[in-house]
Amino acid sequence: MGEVAGMPDAQVEAEVAEGRVTLVVDESVYPLDAVYGATYTFIDRCYVLLDRAAPTRLRISLTPKHDADADALRAYVGELQNELLSCAWRSQIVRENRAVIEAVTLRAVSGAMGPPSLDELEDFDFSEEPFEDPLGIGLSWEEKYKKKGAADGPSAAAAPAADGGEERDADDNRDETESA
Amino acid sequence: MTAPSSTLPAGAFPLGGLTTDASFPAFFRYRALPGDRVLLTNLEGNFLVLAADEFRAFASGQVDPGSELYARLRDGNFLRAHFDTERAAEGLRRRKRFLGYGPNLHMLVVTLRCNETCVYCHASRAPMEATHTDMSRETAERCVDLALSSTSPGITLEFQGGEPLVNFDVVKHVIEYAREKNATIGKALEFTMVSNLAMMDEEKLAYLMAQRVQICTSIDGPQGLHDKQRKLPALKLASGEKTGGSAWEAAVHWIRRINEAYEQQGLDPTLYRVEALLTTTRDTLPLWKEVVDQYVDLGCRALFLRPIDPFGFAERTGPRLEYPRAEYLEFYRRAVDYMIELNLQGVQVLERYAAIFLTKILRGEDPNFLDIRSPSGAGIGALAYNYDGGIFTCDEGRMLHETGDDTFLLGHVSDATYRGVVGHETVRALVLAGNLDARPDCVNCAYQPYCGVAPSHSHKTQGTIFGRMRESSVCAVHKGIQDYLFEKIADADPGVMEVFERWTTIRPREHFIQSVDP
Ligand code: SF4
Repeated sequence: MGEVAGMPDAQVEAEVAEGRVTLVVDESVYPLDAVYGATYTFIDRCYVLLDRAAPTRLRISLTPKHDADADALRAYVGELQNELLSCAWRSQIVRENRAVIEAVTLRAVSGAMGPPSLDELEDFDFSEEPFEDPLGIGLSWEEKYKKKGAADGPSAAAAPAADGGEERDADDNRDETESA
Repeated sequence: MTAPSSTLPAGAFPLGGLTTDASFPAFFRYRALPGDRVLLTNLEGNFLVLAADEFRAFASGQVDPGSELYARLRDGNFLRAHFDTERAAEGLRRRKRFLGYGPNLHMLVVTLRCNETCVYCHASRAPMEATHTDMSRETAERCVDLALSSTSPGITLEFQGGEPLVNFDVVKHVIEYAREKNATIGKALEFTMVSNLAMMDEEKLAYLMAQRVQICTSIDGPQGLHDKQRKLPALKLASGEKTGGSAWEAAVHWIRRINEAYEQQGLDPTLYRVEALLTTTRDTLPLWKEVVDQYVDLGCRALFLRPIDPFGFAERTGPRLEYPRAEYLEFYRRAVDYMIELNLQGVQVLERYAAIFLTKILRGEDPNFLDIRSPSGAGIGALAYNYDGGIFTCDEGRMLHETGDDTFLLGHVSDATYRGVVGHETVRALVLAGNLDARPDCVNCAYQPYCGVAPSHSHKTQGTIFGRMRESSVCAVHKGIQDYLFEKIADADPGVMEVFERWTTIRPREHFIQSVDP
C-alpha cells in the first residue's frame, strides 16, 4: 500500500502494482446514498467494491479496467472525492428544495404527456389492484390504522384501538402532523 | 468600503467584517462584477447592479427607507418587508411557460450518409455507399405520427443527417405526409433542413421553397478554415468537368442563391435569410474578426459562436480541436465586442448565445432554447429519431448511441406510444437532473434564473447526468458569457443597451408555418 500524492494517507491508499486505489469515508459525513451515487459513476471505467472498514466507515476500492499508473489512480480517486461531495450536497439540496423540484417535475412531465387518450383509457385495467403498495401509502388513514378485526366503514375506522391494535410509530405521527 | 480582493475567485465578494441581517433582504443570489459592483438576482429572475458599498448596506440591513437605493430594491422585489409573492409567482410562471407542453422540436435523421467529411464529426456520419443508414418511408411516417401527437401547439420537423439531401425522396415524403396528416390536427407545423448544401440543385431548391422549408447550413468561417475542417471530395462529371472540392464554395454559392430566392418571393430580406451555424475549433479562436466578417459578408443576421462539443468527434481528433474554455471566452468577448461595434455602425448581426441570455435577463421571458433552460428540454422539449426508428431524448443522445451508449434511448417508433415516450423513466430522470434547483453550485449561482446545462453533456464528460458544475466546460462557458453580458449591462452604455434590446426582439417567421396560407 502506498500514499497518493497530496491525499491524506489515513484515508487514501494506492496499490500501483495492483492497479487499485482505496478510499475510506466516514458515513456521518457522506451518507450511504451519496456513496452509492458517486461510486456508480465509475463503473464504466473501474471495477468498484464497497465494504465496511469500521462501524461507521466505508471502504471504496476502485480498480481501473485498463492499465493505470500512479497519476491515473490519483486522478480517479480525486474525481471520486469531488463526486462524493457533489452527491452528498445534492441529496441535501433536493431534500431542502423538494417542494419546488416536485412541482416543476410534475408540471413538466404532465404538460408534456397530456391527458391519456380514450384508447389508452380503454386499455387500462381498472379491475386489478392499482399498484403494489407494501407501505400502505394509497390507503386512507382510517384504512391504514383501523383496529384489527373491526368492521369496515367509517364508524368502525374511527373507533379507538381498545385491544392493543396496531400502534402508530413516531414517524407516522410526524408525517400526520406535517401534512395537517 | 473594501474592494474585492484579487485572491478571491471570480464572482466572489469579500464578506469579512460584514454583519448580515437576514430579516432585511428577500431571497437573493449575488455575484461580484469588476469595478466594485455586485449583481443581485432573485427567484423570479429580476436583477439589480449595486455598488459594493450599496451591497454591504443591503446585506446588513442598513438602507435608509427614504433613499433611492431602498426604492430600487423594493421595485426589484428584493426586500422582505415589501415582498410581493404574487408578482414573484407570475414572473416564474412566465419564465417557465414551456413546462405546459411537450416536445416542439422533432429531429429526423433521414440518413447517416454524408458527402462531406468533417474533422469534428465521426459518430454521426456514414460513407455514401452505406445506403442501409437511410430512413425508410414507413419509419418516417411513424416519426411524424409521434411528433404530431405532441401536446405542443407548434411542431418543427427538422431534417438532419448525415446529409439530408442524400435521402431527399424521404424528406419529400415526410413533408407531404405531415402536411396531409396535420390538416386535421391543426398544429403550427414547420419544416427545417440542416444541410451542407453541396448536393443542392435548382429543382430541389424550387421544391423546398414551394413547401416553405427553412434552410440552415454550416459555415465555419473564411474559406481556408472551412475547407480545412469540412472536406468535400472533388467529382469528375461525365462531361469531364470537375466539380466540388470546396465545401465552402458550395455552401456560399447556395446561401447567396437561397437568399436571392427569398427576395424573389417578396419576403422581407431582414427576416428571411439562410441560418448558418459555426463550430468553434482551436483554429477558429484567432480568427474571431474574420469569422464575423464572413457572416456579415454572406448577409447572415445571426452568428452562433458555439464551442465544439464532445459528442461527434473521435477520441483521436478531440485533443487537436479542443481548447481551454478561458481561451474560448476570450475569443467570445472579442467577437461580440466587434459585433456590437458593427451594430453601432448600422450593420445588423446578433450573437445567438447573447440573444438567448439577454431575452431572459432583459425581457423576463424564456426563448425556449432547449439546452439552456431549467429543466432542460431533453425528452420534454425535443425528441430525436434515428434513421432506423430509434427514439432519443436529444440529438446528443442519438450520437452517443452510435458510439455504443444507449443511455438516452427511449424506444422505437414501431411500437412506441407518445405518452410512453415522454413519460419514460429516462425522461423523468433527465427532468430531475436538468433542474437547476436540484444542482450544487447552480442553487447558489446568480445566473441560475437564466441558465441551464444539458444532462447529456454532463453524462458524456463526467459520467453523471447531474454533473459537477465547477468542472463542467458548459458551466464555464455559460458563466463566462453571462459575466460578459452583465458587465455590459452594468456599464449601461446607451448605444450598447439599444443593441442588446434589439437582440432580444423576437420576430416570428410566419412564412415558414404551414398552417398559415401564403
Ligand atoms: S451552470 Fe454554471 S453558470 Fe449556470 S447556473 Fe449553474 S453554476 Fe451558474
